[in-house]
Amino acid sequence: MSAAGRSALAPGPVVIWRRWLGPTVRRLLGAIAVFWAVASFTFCIQALLPGDRAELILNVAAGTFTQPTAAELAKVNAKYGFDAPLVVQYLRYLGGLVQGDLGASYQSHRPVLHIIAEQVPPTIGLTLSALLLGWIIAIVLTVPTAGRHDPLSRAVASFQVAAAVAPPYWIGSILLVVLAVKLRLVPVEGGSGLSGVALPALALAIPLSGFIGQVIREEFARVLDQPFVISARMRGMSDLGVRLLHVLRHAVLPGITLSGWALGALFSGAAVIETVFARPGLGGLLVAATSARDVPLVTGIIVASAGMYIIANLLVDIAYPIIDPRIKAS
Amino acid sequence: MMSLSSNRAEPSPGYGRRSISAGLFAAAALCSIITPAAAAEDDKRGGIIRYGHYQEPPCLYAGWVQAGYIQRQYADNLVARTHDGQIVPWLATDWSISEDNLTYVFKIKPGVTFHDGTVLDAKAIVTNFERWLSNDPDKVNRNGKLYIGEYIRSVTAPEPLTLKIELARPYQPFLTVLSTYFFGILSPTALERGPKELCEHPVGSGPFAVETWNHGQNVILKRNPNYNSAPATAKHQGPAYVDGIVWKFLKDSTVRYGSLVAGESDAIYDIPAVDWADAQKRFKVIQDITGGTPTRLQLNTARPPFDDVRVRRAFAYVAERRKAVEVSFQGSIPFNANGALSISTPEHLKDLADSYPYDPDRANRLLDDAGWTARSRDGIRTKDGKRLTVRLLYAGGSLITPDGVSVLQILQDQARSAGFDIVLKPIPQADWFAGKGRGIDDYEAQPAYWVASSAEILKISWRPDQNGVINANNASRFQPPELWTLIEEADRTFDDKVRLRLYEDAQRVIVDNAAVVGLFPLTVSIASQPKLKDIWISSRVSEPVFHDAYFEK
Repeated sequence: MSAAGRSALAPGPVVIWRRWLGPTVRRLLGAIAVFWAVASFTFCIQALLPGDRAELILNVAAGTFTQPTAAELAKVNAKYGFDAPLVVQYLRYLGGLVQGDLGASYQSHRPVLHIIAEQVPPTIGLTLSALLLGWIIAIVLTVPTAGRHDPLSRAVASFQVAAAVAPPYWIGSILLVVLAVKLRLVPVEGGSGLSGVALPALALAIPLSGFIGQVIREEFARVLDQPFVISARMRGMSDLGVRLLHVLRHAVLPGITLSGWALGALFSGAAVIETVFARPGLGGLLVAATSARDVPLVTGIIVASAGMYIIANLLVDIAYPIIDPRIKAS
Repeated sequence: MMSLSSNRAEPSPGYGRRSISAGLFAAAALCSIITPAAAAEDDKRGGIIRYGHYQEPPCLYAGWVQAGYIQRQYADNLVARTHDGQIVPWLATDWSISEDNLTYVFKIKPGVTFHDGTVLDAKAIVTNFERWLSNDPDKVNRNGKLYIGEYIRSVTAPEPLTLKIELARPYQPFLTVLSTYFFGILSPTALERGPKELCEHPVGSGPFAVETWNHGQNVILKRNPNYNSAPATAKHQGPAYVDGIVWKFLKDSTVRYGSLVAGESDAIYDIPAVDWADAQKRFKVIQDITGGTPTRLQLNTARPPFDDVRVRRAFAYVAERRKAVEVSFQGSIPFNANGALSISTPEHLKDLADSYPYDPDRANRLLDDAGWTARSRDGIRTKDGKRLTVRLLYAGGSLITPDGVSVLQILQDQARSAGFDIVLKPIPQADWFAGKGRGIDDYEAQPAYWVASSAEILKISWRPDQNGVINANNASRFQPPELWTLIEEADRTFDDKVRLRLYEDAQRVIVDNAAVVGLFPLTVSIASQPKLKDIWISSRVSEPVFHDAYFEK
């Protein structure tokens, strides 16, 4: 950027192309590398876990423990290609992945891609609502109280610390009993509607709001002492106006960084919450697939989650310069 | 169980001795259809049952009981079994057994079709048998094969509605086994569509048909308007009263019970122990104790310290098992001292219901006798420098519930006072199924149960290892020849009194040797809204049955 700025001539199309291409290709290559690493790691874990995969498949299907005969095991091994050397299995698996073929579930025999595609929307809906809700709670609690030392502000700050460390499972169970079972404000069973997503999203949002709130609170207090804030106050702007219009914009930056991480955390939190609230979704699917060690399904879910995590972080990278143009300049 | 049936036996031309007539049941069924009660029947029609179940099976057709619960709604079996152990008609209206107990001839109910329109005749049933016993992993019913595989010589359809099964050896529990859910008959046309379709859309002839499976949420079951093949155990013949079932998966017990309290479910499965007392007051609660083996600790008799019967007995005496079960389940599940059979199994020997009461003095004396006299600094007994350690492995979260684990923790604590060092080792379900921790040297004790109808389970639990094939279900590794002789002889004995005595002797051998230490049976409980009537639990594997259920108007 600075080189172009010094040049008197406008940059040619090739330069622009290269400038755009460079970071994009690098980013894409990075994403592919992460994908490959995740996929390989998952494969290794699943292949190296103790126990015999063929025996597992037979026993899970029967729902009992039996000692399958060698002939029975051989049939299953041949069917799933377990009799090939591990390297061959790995290459076959990577080959399938490249073609978008994640294989079929050992248990339901359906293509993994279909199973995942079916369960992704509710999980995305849940995590995004939780993220949004987490931000709303964090801003509502932080903006009026940051940088103050009255008892109320201190109580709010302590609440945020407590919220940040509270496990979503526990919050979820309490919300469920109080709001759904006792007060009947929302349905007990999640369902797919807006009222159904409220409780699980809240259970995930409360700890998240604690994290975000703490991070922006510190930054908020720091920015409040900046000269431009003082000058805004001198112009006669109200305290809330200053906080909302000038300070907030600066203070949310570390929170935005945190959101990229939060999406990943929300995904894993969703695994528990989806089970608690009987919601459909990727999380519940992962729990079930893991407990049955349905290798293609577990692998597919992890690769898909990694993909979404990468996309979320790309979005955060894009959001940064929009909120703080100084980042674009540097 | 044959005795009650043979009391009503009528001689039939081909096979004389034990022809079992369905006359009484057919008459009773007919009556219920054509009596003036028909008007009342109409009042019962309509509504959809919102049922909150526990776990979602990965496939709607599998050996696992979680799939079996649904299979009971969409499929019919050849025969049914009453709670007191009688075998009564279902798809087979009548049957006869040859003098040598080797040939079974079944008359199949005419006019029955599967949900896809395929005719349910003897040939369709033969196809089912062929698949169950197949060597193809995609077709075989491993659970079923384990029970009947070794006995079946041939299954044929000499006439469209006549099914003939020839056995290689007499097997008295044969009909009992055929009445369990994993022998539900499915449409041969649908079976041809491969394992994926079989999981998603199994097609039977039952009172409800699988319409859609919303993965992660529910299975929608729709009323079969042409249903004409209810078992003799049903409260009415003909189609179900309700229009369908929304079979929801509510794994978390707070949600499940909360959903019933909030009126979002009409019935739920498995009432949590904490809500047990509350549920009794507010809802209609039915509970069934499953047959087969209870959850019991299998003590590894193949290695020290439990290779010594004195140490096994000491372990049985050392803890207040009854109290531990009462406390952990808050009275919702009974104690089952006789570890050989569940208390609801007809052959369960009551004399053993008080075996090994809490007696720490006796436990200590037995351990002293066995040479475990020295004590380490932390109070654990030792012998020749070895600690009295018991590695207790369990598949937590699936085969044993958190309440069940709390029983184990109480045992652990009490056994310590007598000098046992009990190490609780949870194993994830998948590792367990993959064989982890089940090697002979991996454990000293393991809890497990196996749900079945009756004493036919003894064969599964206690079959000795044969030709290098280890019986994985005999985690006690207890296989004295006299035990197997008793069980094999019982399984081929058709005289009820003699068979019962043999089964009882087998239980004595198992319990006297403390090969297993009984804890508690598996129970199935259903709580329903008061206006929803007549859900019942089928014997003895305890699937809820919705065919007779109706909403009171």
